[in-house]
Amino acid sequence: MSSNHGPQRHRHTAKFWVCVLLVLAAGLAGISGGRAAAPKFFPDDPIQIDDDRAFDAREAQPIEGSNAYDFTEHTFLKPGDRRDIRAVNVNTLDEVPDSTWFINRIGRGPMSIDALVRGPNQSDTLNVDDWPIVQEKSSGITPGYRLTDPSGHLYQVKFDPPNHPEMASGAEVIGAAIYHAIGYNVVQGYIVEIDPARIVISPKATTVDMSGRRRQMRREDVDRILSRAARLPNGKYRATLSRFAEGRPVGYFKYYGTRPDDPNDIHAHEHRRELRANRVFSAWLNHDDSRGINSLDMLETAEDRRYIRHFMFDFGSIMGSGSTVAQVPRAGNEYILEWGPALKTLATLGLYVRPWITVNYWQGARSVGRFEADFFDPVKWRPEYPNPAFDNMRPDDAFWAARLVARFNDEVIRAIVAKGRYSEPGAAEHLATTLIKRRDKVLRAWLTGVNPIAEPRLTADGVLTFENAAVTARVGSAPTAYALTWSRFDNAAGANTGESVEMRVTEPQAQAPKQLLQGADFVAVAIQTIHSDYPVWRSPVILTFRRTASGWQAVGLERTVASRTE
Amino acid sequence: MANHRGVNPHVAWLVGAALGALLAAPLPSEAQEPQSRQEALRQQREEKSRSLSPPERSGLERTLLDLESGRLLERVLNPPEGFYPKIGNITAGSGFSFGPAYRKPGLFGGNADFSAFAAASFQRYWMIDTRLTLPRLANERVSVDLHAQRYEFPDEDFFGLGPDSQRVDQVTYGVASSVFGGTGAVRPRQWLTVGAGLDYLTPHVSTLGEGRRIDTLFNERTAPGLATQPDFLRYALFADLNYREPRGNPRRGGRYAVELEQFDDRDGDRYSFRRVEADLQQYLSMLNDRRVLALHALVSTSDVEPGREVPFYFQRTLGGPDDLRGFRRYRFRDRHMLLLQAEYRWEIFTAVDGAIFYDAGKVAPRLEDLTFRDLETDYGIGFRFGTDNGVFLRVEGAFGSRDGKHFILRFGHVF
Repeated sequence: MSSNHGPQRHRHTAKFWVCVLLVLAAGLAGISGGRAAAPKFFPDDPIQIDDDRAFDAREAQPIEGSNAYDFTEHTFLKPGDRRDIRAVNVNTLDEVPDSTWFINRIGRGPMSIDALVRGPNQSDTLNVDDWPIVQEKSSGITPGYRLTDPSGHLYQVKFDPPNHPEMASGAEVIGAAIYHAIGYNVVQGYIVEIDPARIVISPKATTVDMSGRRRQMRREDVDRILSRAARLPNGKYRATLSRFAEGRPVGYFKYYGTRPDDPNDIHAHEHRRELRANRVFSAWLNHDDSRGINSLDMLETAEDRRYIRHFMFDFGSIMGSGSTVAQVPRAGNEYILEWGPALKTLATLGLYVRPWITVNYWQGARSVGRFEADFFDPVKWRPEYPNPAFDNMRPDDAFWAARLVARFNDEVIRAIVAKGRYSEPGAAEHLATTLIKRRDKVLRAWLTGVNPIAEPRLTADGVLTFENAAVTARVGSAPTAYALTWSRFDNAAGANTGESVEMRVTEPQAQAPKQLLQGADFVAVAIQTIHSDYPVWRSPVILTFRRTASGWQAVGLERTVASRTE
Repeated sequence: MANHRGVNPHVAWLVGAALGALLAAPLPSEAQEPQSRQEALRQQREEKSRSLSPPERSGLERTLLDLESGRLLERVLNPPEGFYPKIGNITAGSGFSFGPAYRKPGLFGGNADFSAFAAASFQRYWMIDTRLTLPRLANERVSVDLHAQRYEFPDEDFFGLGPDSQRVDQVTYGVASSVFGGTGAVRPRQWLTVGAGLDYLTPHVSTLGEGRRIDTLFNERTAPGLATQPDFLRYALFADLNYREPRGNPRRGGRYAVELEQFDDRDGDRYSFRRVEADLQQYLSMLNDRRVLALHALVSTSDVEPGREVPFYFQRTLGGPDDLRGFRRYRFRDRHMLLLQAEYRWEIFTAVDGAIFYDAGKVAPRLEDLTFRDLETDYGIGFRFGTDNGVFLRVEGAFGSRDGKHFILRFGHVF
């Protein structure tokens, strides 16, 4: 009996466990399948706002930055995640939603020249006569101090260097206006003239003397600061007046990682689109001082909670200004410490000449430092030392930024430069012309680095329109054709379904196949741009549209980009 | 029987389904699947909010931050006010010296600054110096400096006078002196300073050096002033045209300084003499200041009435890390001196320059002998560490002289 029953029992036992495993597998599949079943596009995609003020950050601690450590860390330690991945904070249309880091301004729609020039400022001009000085400027190389307006709000004054009057203050307000228009948070900044006879020192103003003791600030302390400042022919001192942002300062942000004390800060900074792409804006303006130390985190209050807003600041070292001197020729061309060229120069006793050394700079005005456009190569541009977010910038990040740069037309640039109130003949013209030339180089380099499809729309009757951003900006000629591949898209599965339909058009417009649209909730179209000068444009851009009550809504835009090493 | 001994498949399905359902059910700690993008982001933030921590700094970061934010190095080593350590060299050959120093700016209504230091070296060199300066008179166009100084340099090298002095004749002597005096200067232009000075000097020479004593080989005839050292009054007139840029580490421009000095022997006239010096520097900048040809010429001549002498301890010298770098310190000494230096400097990277140099010079007992013939020469290569504000460290190798190879490690620029 046992010989008969044994195998059968084993078979039944095996069957039991197979059944259990199958059902368990089904259950597990239910778990993972539940996760995988998360749709590719949520109903609220593409989000326009990333609500990074949702959680209370009142426990955030002030972070103090060290210039020496920042240089050391980024030069020798290479911090941050260096994976070649898409920016993590873009929405499904490959755009940056508004957040405490970035607010779409010029990218969202046309801005008036007045609004662009005004930038973050609430007033046209300010007069600081008799505003009391309350403390010295605590950091940085530029001479200055802090004072308060009649309402008690704090401001910081920074003076121009004696040999370059108007240089740093002009750069500061121009940089702030441009960065504000792009979408970054910047503080209000004004050019003011300070009458030394109208300087008032608050009885409570203090300074730290060199023995480390805090003591009452005296007139000779102010005179010592003024001795390092440019004096105008009228006896006054021109300076930048920066209004402190609202809230409590909690230090600065780094260009990698996240703040461990901020629950809202979940996207690694080196993978944030607007931080990676800041490389493009920095290259345009030669903002080689674009680093974490020159940022500011402010703890603001909203209703019952606090959150951190992230600011860019200190634009006194852009457009050829080096804040206290004319910018060094290396700036923008090489890191402070770059072993390859340094060793070549050392070994050849200087016979090896770095190419940037031979650049001739315009010297027509002391208010303009070293700023030029002919040698400038946006792709080779460098900040003072490596920046993890800049290093992670991919062609799609650069394309996004270049489209914003393209919004600054010649008229806008000239209007913003005029905000610098340069008195020397030719100074404003040189800066504006150079900015325009550099802008054009930026657009040629980075609007053409990916398939430049943008602004997709699908009408209710199935007409697809899109824009070729390179053609629009006149940095690329019209392509031979656009090759389109249409499919239905299964949002739950995250994949195309059914037969695809291919077509070629010569204009950025096409009629979607009616049989695909009929009854579909989502449709996708992959567009390749055929252009003999730009093989990379053949990399498809995949657009996805969702059916709405009134027609179709663009919900997805994915660019295929070459890896950073290619 | 088979079913009795085996397992009913329906039971198996039930068991499996129950376990599967248990597994499929969300765990208490597991968040619900988000239904929107905002919800997905909110869940991530909620999760992070449960594990917040204060920012941490590494030890290196803390150290650098303390140094930087507290301006510790500046406060400790070179504060504009208060006590600080005086570190460096008292004079060429003194070796590393240090001691307490004090400065107090802004006296007398902010017009005067006071400073003082006392420093000594392991070579037993020492110096005490007090100074009251008024640098901001007449809208900073006029400056006055009053000073009192006492020093002792116990181990100075001497090889004899003239260009033909022998290295084998090396002896040592000590010199000490007090100096009381003042200088007044006017700066009509940013780049031009003219002024005058008056000092009272009390030099005293000691024959008790560390090495071979000077009086074992030299006497009053071969080393004038060795026997007696009177007090001196020194009058000086000077003009200094300086348009170098940047001042601390020039890359372009020039400096042309001339000084006339009269040394009056207060005990008689035997050691009274006049001296004229011209110090010329020119910086030829190339390639946006990244290459610099630096040229330096220094001429010093001393003139005495017949029957008078220039004391050997006041005569100009050549040799050492700042002039003829391929020779020992004070290797040559006489009434007249000529020094020519050329340096090709190239920037290796920010804050580090390389330099190739060539030095030539001679001393002479007579002005007509101060020609370009028979110059002592050397050459070398080095590195300079610093910024536009100045060179803080200089490392050089000097070769090509008849005095052997010399390694130089110095704080500060060569000229």
